Amino acid sequence: MQWRFLPFERLGAFENMAIDEAIFRFHQHEDMPPTLRFYGWKFPTVSLGYFQDVEKEVDIEACRRKNIPVVRRPTGGKAVLHEGDVTYAVVGRDSNPLFPADILGTYRVISRCIAGGLALLGIEAEMEGNSRAPNGDSLKASCFSSPSRYELLVKNRKICGSAQVRSHGIFLQHGSILMEFNPFKTCDVMLPRSGDYERQILRMKQSVTSVSEHTDRAVDVGMVCRALMTGFEKTLGIELVKGELSPEEEEIKAVLMTHKYMNERWNMEGGCRAWI
Amino acid sequence: MKVFPDDLLYNREHTWVRVEGDLATIGITDYAQEKLGEVLSLELPETDDSVERDEPFGAIESAKGVFELISPVSGEVISVNDDITDDIGIINSDPHDTGWMIVVEMNDPEELDDLLDSGEYHDFVLREAGDG
Repeated sequence: MQWRFLPFERLGAFENMAIDEAIFRFHQHEDMPPTLRFYGWKFPTVSLGYFQDVEKEVDIEACRRKNIPVVRRPTGGKAVLHEGDVTYAVVGRDSNPLFPADILGTYRVISRCIAGGLALLGIEAEMEGNSRAPNGDSLKASCFSSPSRYELLVKNRKICGSAQVRSHGIFLQHGSILMEFNPFKTCDVMLPRSGDYERQILRMKQSVTSVSEHTDRAVDVGMVCRALMTGFEKTLGIELVKGELSPEEEEIKAVLMTHKYMNERWNMEGGCRAWI
Repeated sequence: MKVFPDDLLYNREHTWVRVEGDLATIGITDYAQEKLGEVLSLELPETDDSVERDEPFGAIESAKGVFELISPVSGEVISVNDDITDDIGIINSDPHDTGWMIVVEMNDPEELDDLLDSGEYHDFVLREAGDG
């Protein structure tokens, strides 16, 4: 089976989200092959989950001071500070026999692909089998501080967080693999903060890790992407065929970018009617 | 296997409709709530908003992700269930009755012809569950 592959490119926050959603939307109306996309973030960016209350989760003033854009994802989950990470997106049909009918099965299968890729870099990642309640003094808003089912851990610290949206029998799952992790930067833009800043930093260090911590050689984004491609191809028995967005997807992307992801109301308030 | 009430109609996106004249009460099915798991967040339209058949009228979040709620009919929202915004757990505990979401005054009741009855929906769910 062939999948469309969209190679790694670093783009702005709004374009990244618009592309993921355009692929997801077009899939709902056309018989498209499953798609795997890799991307990075041109600038440090905070992405928020669909239902998150930005005022409770993110230090907006700090983001403004640091020129860090905040974008709301079409998927669930918690806030993430993206900086140098490799983000993946998979769009496919619920009915694809590669994915079990249960929703968590999709996480499980994609986690296996990513773990297979990381293994080629010498990183032994395993799936989080059970939800672990976030520690009371952790940054509850941050995706990486609270492992959830079937996300990837290395030595019990999260290296890849993922989130999904589903509609019309199509799923979009995207997630980020941290190349490096700086807990100070994350703590500086996330809320709420308890008074004990040092403890928060320690908690982040204990619960989050990155590719650079587990390799004894310099590993760049290209190496990670190649390893992940192999992880997907071997785990699923598929062939990734380099492609590009269709003209229709480009059109959908342009509309979503202008009217949704660059729309302050969508990013700050959310809600499917915030950008219509 | 789940029992789906005979007095409801269903779409393939797992929403149900209870029809009384031109009014359609809409919610998600027991199969859907079980598939989602514990509902954590919900977004619904407001009274007087329009909804379109086969288009999202809201979204729901569980620990597994975000799921768009797809409307089985077109029309104008005339009522929203405030009880479920106060106690979201009702969607899990009583999805076919007190867990209703919105009431829509339908533009075109003929849209109902495309929906599934309980037996057809039961078969659809069996096929979907067997896909994996």
